[in-house]
Amino acid sequence: MSKPTPSSAALPIAHAALRILIVVNWLMGAAILALLVVMPNEQWIMSAFKLSPSPDAARLVMGLRAIAVLGLAAIPLNYVVLRRLLAMVETVRAGDPFVAANAARLQAIAWALLALQLLSLVVGAIAKTVSTPAHPLHLNAGFSINGWLTVLLTFLLARVFAEGALMREDLEGTV
Amino acid sequence: MAIAVKLDDLLHDRRMTLTELADRIGMTLANLSILKTGKARAIRFSTLDAICEELSCQPGDLLRFEPAAAAGKRSASR
Repeated sequence: MSKPTPSSAALPIAHAALRILIVVNWLMGAAILALLVVMPNEQWIMSAFKLSPSPDAARLVMGLRAIAVLGLAAIPLNYVVLRRLLAMVETVRAGDPFVAANAARLQAIAWALLALQLLSLVVGAIAKTVSTPAHPLHLNAGFSINGWLTVLLTFLLARVFAEGALMREDLEGTV
Repeated sequence: MAIAVKLDDLLHDRRMTLTELADRIGMTLANLSILKTGKARAIRFSTLDAICEELSCQPGDLLRFEPAAAAGKRSASR
């Protein structure tokens, strides 16, 4: 029993934005891959960052490479989040979002967000390790209270959706 | 479900169709069909009240507990 949803601009916008973000995510992945594969030359990185050859600079380059690899690992995780969000938006547009499939999607999103937070912790730690006063490395990574709250909230929301889907099923069978 | 709905028998005894009953108690035919075919998960007291009123029967005339039939039905439907 699906009710027609009131038309709102938010859903088409979310739908389009998510589709764009999915493409941007793949482009980012391709860019990181290109950085790792096509330009592995240490000299090139040194000159790009205006680094003078030193043990510190070599460590920085190593650190940057490690961070790039972790960035590559984040691409499929981002894809999991975006693809499932898109599927959820589609169920809202269809007028039936309280289904067990959406609870499962939220659960998958929560796990992906958890993995992304862990990646961020590792990236932050690497940045801190390789950063020196001569070559400071400022990255927007590391522990984020908001990030971890989002993870918790998403797990919670997945449970709420699962309960909601059960209640919806009961209600549909009530005459 | 171990609860069988005897709406078909009641309607047959009273020479009434499901559509007629739906009209008289103000329920949709779709919902009443769900009840008749035993696919309902729950029944509201207001629905029970309206059916009993219209068919001049007791809730017990409409619902019956049938454990053996239920076991077969459940394994067939799930």
